[in-house]
Amino acid sequence: MRWVIRRIGVSLVLVWIVASIVFLALRCVPGDPAELLLSQGGAAPDPAAVAQLREQLGLDRPIWTQYFASFDALLHGDFGNSLQDDSPVATEIWRRLPRTLELIAASTVIALITGLPLGLAAALRRGGLFDRIASWIAAAGLAVPLFVVGTLLVLVFAQGLHWVSAGGYVPLAQAPGRHFALLAMPAVTIALGLFATVFRMTRAAVLDVSMRDYVRTARAKGLRHGRIVIHHVLRNALIPVVTVLALQLGTLLGGTVLVEYVFNYPGLSGMLVEAVNARDYPEVEGIVLVISILFVTLNLLIDLLYGVLDPRVRQA
Amino acid sequence: MRRPNLIPVGAVAAIAIVALAVPVLGLPNPTAMSIAHRMAASSAAHWLGQDEYGRDVLSRLLWGARVSLPVAAASATAACLLGTALGLAGGYLGRVAELLALRGTDVVLCFPPLLLALLVVTILGPGAATLIPVLTLVFLPGFVRVVYAGVLSVRSQEYIDAMRVLGAGRLRIMLRTILPNIAGPILVQYSLAAASAVVLESGLSFLGLGVLPPAPSWGLMIAAARSTMTQAPLLLLWPCLALSLTILAMNALCDALRDATDPHRAPDRLPRRLLNLLASGLPPAHGPLLDVRNLTIEIDTPDGPIQPVRDVSLSVAPGTTLAIVGESGSGKTLTGLAVMGLLPSVARVAGGAVRMEGQDVPRLNEAALRRLRGDRMAMVFQDPLSSLNPVHRVGAQIAEIIHAHRALPDSVARDRVVALLRRVGIPDPARRARAYPHELSGGMRQRAMIAMAIANDPKLLIADEPTTALDVTIQAQVLDLLAGLKREHGMGLVLITHSLPVVAEIADQVAVMYAGEIVEQGSVAEVLARPLHPYTAALLRSAPAEDGSMPDSILGTVPPPHALPPGCVFGPRCGLHTALCDAARPPLIDARPGHGTRCIRWRDLVAVELHPCADERHPRAVERHPRARPEDQPVQARCQTVGPLRVSRDPRVEPEDDGNGAAAPEDDRNGTAVPGDDGDGAAAPKNDWHGAAVP
Repeated sequence: MRWVIRRIGVSLVLVWIVASIVFLALRCVPGDPAELLLSQGGAAPDPAAVAQLREQLGLDRPIWTQYFASFDALLHGDFGNSLQDDSPVATEIWRRLPRTLELIAASTVIALITGLPLGLAAALRRGGLFDRIASWIAAAGLAVPLFVVGTLLVLVFAQGLHWVSAGGYVPLAQAPGRHFALLAMPAVTIALGLFATVFRMTRAAVLDVSMRDYVRTARAKGLRHGRIVIHHVLRNALIPVVTVLALQLGTLLGGTVLVEYVFNYPGLSGMLVEAVNARDYPEVEGIVLVISILFVTLNLLIDLLYGVLDPRVRQA
Repeated sequence: MRRPNLIPVGAVAAIAIVALAVPVLGLPNPTAMSIAHRMAASSAAHWLGQDEYGRDVLSRLLWGARVSLPVAAASATAACLLGTALGLAGGYLGRVAELLALRGTDVVLCFPPLLLALLVVTILGPGAATLIPVLTLVFLPGFVRVVYAGVLSVRSQEYIDAMRVLGAGRLRIMLRTILPNIAGPILVQYSLAAASAVVLESGLSFLGLGVLPPAPSWGLMIAAARSTMTQAPLLLLWPCLALSLTILAMNALCDALRDATDPHRAPDRLPRRLLNLLASGLPPAHGPLLDVRNLTIEIDTPDGPIQPVRDVSLSVAPGTTLAIVGESGSGKTLTGLAVMGLLPSVARVAGGAVRMEGQDVPRLNEAALRRLRGDRMAMVFQDPLSSLNPVHRVGAQIAEIIHAHRALPDSVARDRVVALLRRVGIPDPARRARAYPHELSGGMRQRAMIAMAIANDPKLLIADEPTTALDVTIQAQVLDLLAGLKREHGMGLVLITHSLPVVAEIADQVAVMYAGEIVEQGSVAEVLARPLHPYTAALLRSAPAEDGSMPDSILGTVPPPHALPPGCVFGPRCGLHTALCDAARPPLIDARPGHGTRCIRWRDLVAVELHPCADERHPRAVERHPRARPEDQPVQARCQTVGPLRVSRDPRVEPEDDGNGAAAPEDDRNGTAVPGDDGDGAAAPKNDWHGAAVP
């Protein structure tokens, strides 16, 4: 239990570091940040607008005052107001965050329920036709960028076959069928890259575990093949797979940015692209912070899962 | 570092060459618009057609490589140089540098890479000039970690200390010795960074936040073609293809480099061959519990098949113990695994038979084997920590073997587990059953292994070095436990060990293995008291003596299975070695009833061992007899008790004399060399040793 508490403490420190960096990033660039944000293609911005932005962002106050004020606001769930329409950033973030979370969850589930069994099957028939085909698909899944996959899916299934519309979002309560139909393409797009990683790692881990002494012990016990595979091989192979899943989290969260843009999915990451385009710093700051906290939290969950899977970790 | 697979290397090189050669290819200007020819199909002048502004698609594709690849190369190179410097500093300059380099760069890892890039783009504005520093920052921690880990593993090695002693400066040590050692992993990291830089650059450009139009970036081309994809899907396809193939080639290069630099990557398993079993005789009606006949195990290696176990015959009766003794690499464990039908997939039974209660184990199908294993025969493995599954509780692992063979309710099985753990002497068994293997001591783990093996009261138990990792008191307890189980259940026990004291204590029969063969076999009392093979004799001398005198070690090493000597495998290490020994592989002959040896000179060995004048009990002392001519007569003259030692001085068998030992007649062999202690030497030559010369 002490291990869990310590791990949570580390995560809190990470969140604090992330928040500080996001705060400092704008303020430590050389020159006037307000002028920088307003400059467009080398043209000098209007001094009145710069002054107004400075005041709006609080850049005219001493840096420590700004730092503590922004942390105080953060703790109250206040991310400041958008530069575009002066609406509170936090409201919009809370509205969109569940959609991005749903997208992440759906793609992770798809990647796991395909990658784990296929990786296991490929390893058990190593060198066979199935292994080779699946390995090629996985190599392709790693090579084709997310936005390419997404765009091609739109081209084929929306423009070509007219099975689904090219993108958009409908709340679950409004029309459940259409909600999942619209979720499917972005989720599959993200899942493809993740599938490739899960597949390759599962295959490698199963091959590795199969040669361990304890698998030989399991065979020496006269256990059924299925039980050896599930209970001894796969159970231990899950540990490195989870490690890799943790390493892929960053890519997964980054992937939502591109995929939400491609499918016009109104999640948090799509909002980020608009904000970056408008150089709306408070909004960017808020979204980056929330996604980074999400990143740290998911890492924490995976570490805790790791402890469940591997009893040796709990001691350390 | 091995040579990497050249296909991906060539593919990446080809892409780079095309990117470099683009300006001299005479392509149309990639930014020259021609609105009149919007989305024109392919033509002689424009092979891949024209885009939505009438620009040449092929030209834009190839020029696109000149945008993506330099960004990737520049950021990967910058990250590599900076990261290597930081990693070296962190690994070699002390704690403060370590903290700054590692923890400092780790901060970057708190952000998903694309998000970090977007944050910087918001502040600095889009463009290639922003991309390179952002990507450098993103890849920096990877390089720092790889280099740091490399330095840690290298810096403790002795040659670094040697260089320090020689007065080399720190910087020179780092650059000269550490860098070449970690070059492989850095190269892998570099290719990884470059590939993911291409992905990130194209992604950001696609969002309109990377390379700015009208520069021909693949990401931009895809974004632009999206709006016209219903009219001109090919416009979308070309840049997608170019981008994906480039990344595919770079990923393949990463894999190839990783394979080439990682020594732990095993080559792919060789294809499995069908079991090629020699026909063996009829199964005996009332045979022993375990009967192994002429077992030969073969393993395919890249250099051809090797036979780590050859012509091994063993038998175990119920309630008795057979010890298999030998150095590591002698084939003891493989023999044990073959009996269980548990040979690793690269090994197979190439000849002979293994009969367990009359069933030929290598010929059983997996289902029949499964019913046998864990029920009627069980095995205790050498290293209990690696042989127990780390993620399951010990009790569950023992219950598993019961459930596999008996339909028992959970509660009954649980009680049985606790009873078993108590039986093997584990204190507080109910609590220990809930422990994980890593929570138990080595001795307890070994006992748990034994408890697991005996859970279904097997008829045969194979124990592979069950006491190796244990201290002396625990060793004795484990041996007592095994002996007790044998008595209680009439279980047959095969004990694989390298320890002669263990053999003397527990075994009834012993088989001495050397380099894959049984060199001597018989009852423990016979073999240990009167060894008839020089290797057994040497093993006995190498065991710690009771009087505290230093044991003799056996000079030389066991020959590897791919480089066996001709004739007797022990020849090169044997003091009794003659040219005759190399002529052919000696058979296992019954020197005495029930006591077999693979030594053609066993009589000489007996003579020397019992020779009261042999001042040294080492085979090298024996060696002097045939070779040291001046000593010949005195030895014979001095020694009156054992009769004439003609045998070792027979001129016809000595290579020094005529080099044709094989021509030695057999008549004067009989009896002369065997001291008349029990007179059964005369019974031995039934299995004429001369047969060895002409098998």
